Amino acid sequence: MNKELEHKFVTELENNQNIVHKICTLYTNDRHAHKDLFQEITIQLWKAYPKFRGDSKFSTWMYRVALNTAITLYRKSKKRVKTQDYDSVIYKIKADDYDETEEQQLKLLYNAVKQLGDIDKALIFLYLEDKDYTEIAETLGITEVNARVKMNRIKNKLRTILNP
Amino acid sequence: MDELELLKKDWQKKEEHLPRLSFDEIYKMIWKKSSSIVKWIFYISIIEFVLWATLNLISYNQESFQLEKAWHIYEISTVLNVIYYFVLIYFIYKFYQNYKQITVTDSSSKLMKSILKVKRTVTQYVWFNIGIFTISFLLLLYGSLKYGEESEKILSAAAKSGNETLFWVMFAVICLVIIGLILILIWLFYRLIYGILLKRLRENYRELKKLEV
Repeated sequence: MNKELEHKFVTELENNQNIVHKICTLYTNDRHAHKDLFQEITIQLWKAYPKFRGDSKFSTWMYRVALNTAITLYRKSKKRVKTQDYDSVIYKIKADDYDETEEQQLKLLYNAVKQLGDIDKALIFLYLEDKDYTEIAETLGITEVNARVKMNRIKNKLRTILNP
Repeated sequence: MDELELLKKDWQKKEEHLPRLSFDEIYKMIWKKSSSIVKWIFYISIIEFVLWATLNLISYNQESFQLEKAWHIYEISTVLNVIYYFVLIYFIYKFYQNYKQITVTDSSSKLMKSILKVKRTVTQYVWFNIGIFTISFLLLLYGSLKYGEESEKILSAAAKSGNETLFWVMFAVICLVIIGLILILIWLFYRLIYGILLKRLRENYRELKKLEV
């Protein structure tokens, strides 16, 4: 691998790293695991990079590799001890910007999302990232209709968690 | 307001609170070693191939060669051996083909399917080995009973026991129990390795498959 390719790849990833961080936040529980997953995703992206033709956007290509790493290739997420909750850390910082009820509701929502299974999380993630159902379906390898049905089920599940 | 819309709005705002890695930090990461499940399966598979082939090889030495000659099972044993190496080559080829098909840029469902396919090839290879060992075991048993030094003792013991049929039935049962126990042990061992490694993948794959119905 030549220097130019390395440089190009790292720059692209540096610019788009938020996508990977968001996935890590969803799929891990502490900083250490977060970094570990980020590293594995980076390795997988780098290994696949020579085959990236540039006919789609770097970020679009990244979603797929990163999600696949998180739900399929990454092995260690359950082993990590839950030392501190990532979201609660973020919420401590952000608490002032929110009014009480909305903040409460969001906190509940994030907790609920974290309790979902790997596949449900992937669907929610792509939805929150504003991907359409065609792309969600293609990424996961299911039909568009089924992606919609599944998404509705997840919405209902979240609703029952919020309003028991 | 729709709960998810609320979440989506907040999700987009969240960016500024995410950690940020520098160019150098990311650059260092690309040279780190992967610890992905695919890598684990690859190493375990290589160990399987080497282990079983070695077991097969060391069971053929000068001594066993002489014994097979004496027991008149040499020819059939050689045929079995030739078959073994042809099938071994086939399995290595198939493993390599399946392994190459694992692509991280595929859809999640397809990626999981390819990983499970590689694992299935290795499982088939293990069962094939167990089959060969069972046949060899039975062959040796047959040879030793018919031509072995101890055979006369066993045969006369059978005659002396009064009920010859019962003796042979007991004999067969004992053999089957031994083979059965070995198989169960091997099966448990594999359940353990692959169970730990592939549990989550299988669950996720099942979940995606369920959606296709």
